[in-house]
Amino acid sequence: MTNDMINIVVEVMPHFEGYAYPNEATQQPLWGVLIVLYPYITGLVAGAFIMASLVRVFNVKALEPVYRLSLLTAFAFLLCAPLPLLFHLGHPERCFEVMMTPHLTSPMAIFGFVYAWYLMAVLLLELWFDYRRDFVAWSESTPGFQGMLYRLFTVGVTDDSEAAGQLDHKIGHILSVVGIPSAFLLHGYVGFIFGSVKANPWWGNVLMPIIFIMSAMVSGIALCVFNYMVLSWIRRKTVDMKCLDVMGMYLFYALVVDAAIEALDWIHRIYSAEEGFQVMQYMAQEKLFYTLNLGQVACGTLVPLVLLGLLQLIRRRVPELQRRRMYFSSAMLILIGVLAMRWNVVIGGQLFSKSLRGVMGYKMEFAGLEGWLMGAVLLCLPFITLTVMVKLFLSERLPTSGHIPHREDGPPALSPAKP
Amino acid sequence: MRRLFKMPPQLIRICLLAVGIVAAYSIASYFLTPASFGEYGWYRGAALAEMATRDRVYAGMKACEECHSDESQKLMKHEHKSLACESCHGPGEAHAKDPRKDNVEKSSFATCLRCHEANPSRPKWHKQIVIKNHYTGSKCTECHVPHSPSEVP
Amino acid sequence: MKNPLSRRSVIGRISAVVAGVLAAPAAKAAKAVTQKLLVSADAPKDYDPTKHKWLMAIDANRCIGCGLCAEACKKENRVPEGPYFRTWVERYIITKPKPGSGAARGETLVDCPNGGINGYPEAPVLKEEIQHSFFVPKLCNLCQHSPCVQVCPVGATFDAPDGAVLIDPKYCIGCGFCIQACPYGCRFLSPVTKTAEKCTLCYHRITRGLKPACVEVCPTQARIFGDLKNPKPDDPLERFYRDNLVVTLKPHLGTEPRLLYAGIDKEVR
Repeated sequence: MTNDMINIVVEVMPHFEGYAYPNEATQQPLWGVLIVLYPYITGLVAGAFIMASLVRVFNVKALEPVYRLSLLTAFAFLLCAPLPLLFHLGHPERCFEVMMTPHLTSPMAIFGFVYAWYLMAVLLLELWFDYRRDFVAWSESTPGFQGMLYRLFTVGVTDDSEAAGQLDHKIGHILSVVGIPSAFLLHGYVGFIFGSVKANPWWGNVLMPIIFIMSAMVSGIALCVFNYMVLSWIRRKTVDMKCLDVMGMYLFYALVVDAAIEALDWIHRIYSAEEGFQVMQYMAQEKLFYTLNLGQVACGTLVPLVLLGLLQLIRRRVPELQRRRMYFSSAMLILIGVLAMRWNVVIGGQLFSKSLRGVMGYKMEFAGLEGWLMGAVLLCLPFITLTVMVKLFLSERLPTSGHIPHREDGPPALSPAKP
Repeated sequence: MRRLFKMPPQLIRICLLAVGIVAAYSIASYFLTPASFGEYGWYRGAALAEMATRDRVYAGMKACEECHSDESQKLMKHEHKSLACESCHGPGEAHAKDPRKDNVEKSSFATCLRCHEANPSRPKWHKQIVIKNHYTGSKCTECHVPHSPSEVP
Repeated sequence: MKNPLSRRSVIGRISAVVAGVLAAPAAKAAKAVTQKLLVSADAPKDYDPTKHKWLMAIDANRCIGCGLCAEACKKENRVPEGPYFRTWVERYIITKPKPGSGAARGETLVDCPNGGINGYPEAPVLKEEIQHSFFVPKLCNLCQHSPCVQVCPVGATFDAPDGAVLIDPKYCIGCGFCIQACPYGCRFLSPVTKTAEKCTLCYHRITRGLKPACVEVCPTQARIFGDLKNPKPDDPLERFYRDNLVVTLKPHLGTEPRLLYAGIDKEVR
């Protein structure tokens, strides 16, 4: 097909090769960088929450130093998640219609309810039950506006007895258990949005939701590693190596499963070579060459697999400094790689025509609603939100009474334990 | 009823908040769902009426025949009977509402060539000419009558 | 401890009951005021959408690629300038196979300059190399299981009871999911209204007894339009599906398109 495609010069629409339906010949694809960012951010939310639930539900005690940070990460990113969607809509002022008249045959209609459920019934409640007694203590000890905020967050409940703490812990456990399928639903429906489009062979297949969920978990765990190491570095605290090693282990195994399922997708496509395979192959080779081979496969999957795999095998022989560097670089590479994967799925699906005869280009603009600048701003916003939350809820100066114990055999946790 | 209030205060507050949120959603839903929604299906029934009342740009042959019945009768007798007036003369609603000479197209050399210029993709039964072999002037009407093509002027 | 019944509490209870009784009509009135923004026209009194079933058919044997239909549609529906088309005409050129290659056909070339509105440039291959060539008008396929309707999150696009697939421009939020889901590429996002748009079968014309603009101006009656529930005497649509073997586009996707084609080739997707 590549040799046979003749570049027919068409007056109005010169930036595609072959033939594309006239409505597809716009300068930019309909779903641009904003729609790349939304799955990326919700994936990070789901993955960070799974990291937190490893502590609560599966009792992985080694991960307790990052429990609260994971929850706050999930919360900060979830707050910023609807922004790309809102900016992308043609009529954002009508966005409430999704909640008023949701069309139940559409996966997109579930957004309002899943988002509201996950934000309020899972994340906010779990955070509240974990922090409740601390809010009571902090509202009394902190002066000024911040103290008022803590008092607001107590919602008027001032019982900070041990018995209340036990009840909080039990409810938090239930919420975590409920939260795991909720997290899968939060990101799985996004995968299903793409997987349900039978008109587009790049998107419409049954593995799409599973690939999205697995890569979400990988990216979320990587984000927790990244945040934990950066926060420790900022606060000049030593990183808890046992915690980091366990995070690295979960990251490795999640990455193995994710890579296996993505590889399965590729192998199946290449083997069965259904209609449209040739144009998709041409598109992937020409238009997605760097983001696919370099970004997603090499940097995002192969190099972290090697680094993390080595660490699983010969961890004891690798000195601490090198281990930290390897974890950090693997986390960074995975974060970039998963973003590249979202790009390849969303943009890749729009770079070839549904006539299966043509391939289009995409020149991203710099300013403008779907440009580089907006993308960068929307990516930074969750980190800024997280900074505010860390200052409010993971402050070094405020003692905690939460269930995070002070581990005798390790360095102090990110925030000081109860005196 | 008393046992309900024996629940720990944090649970009571949370339940109250939840009830409040659901109530707020129901009220908002009542006000913000359009009245005709669901009349025929999962959409605003009034939309059908709104779409049906848009303005036209093309008038349709019946409107042309009201005033130009002799032209359309001539057309019906010959090979161009499958054409509409507006195929060659362009949109006619403005002219039908306000009949003037200047708000409808007169058609020209280009109009005829649009259909009759030879093109290998056109079916063989369709009469086509290679213009440089056929005629070098600027008015097809020198030899042809568009409303009755087999006549000679 | 029970509070004794005081005058205050009695007045309080009575006013609560009165407020409750008045609340329902007050709410209805408030709702009517807030929603006045949405509805702008009354239904045409003589048109009942459940009593009609519109269908279009394409006889590609008759299409001469003049592009009058695409131009009429652009004008009639005020489609924005640029690569936005509610209907268009594609040209297919199937070349002869290379001698000695053992193939039945050469390669297929497809083009559609500006939707076909300004006609077609010279064919990119010589006349002698062409085995077959033909034009195919394209538009909304009027699917029975429309994937576009299925994926709309708010119910802005829908199957009307009379067979047209329509978009409510006042309700559409412009998410673009329907445009992604249409396998035939017949939808686009209007840069003017920022909502999805597509062929409406000229709903404003057919509900008044006129034909869609593209059918009106077609010089060879390659586009055939009719009402399946109210056929005219010697109805051209009835004649079409009586006299022709027909195909639909992309049948393997299960969308059950109602738009019928006669005279197209396997290369048409």
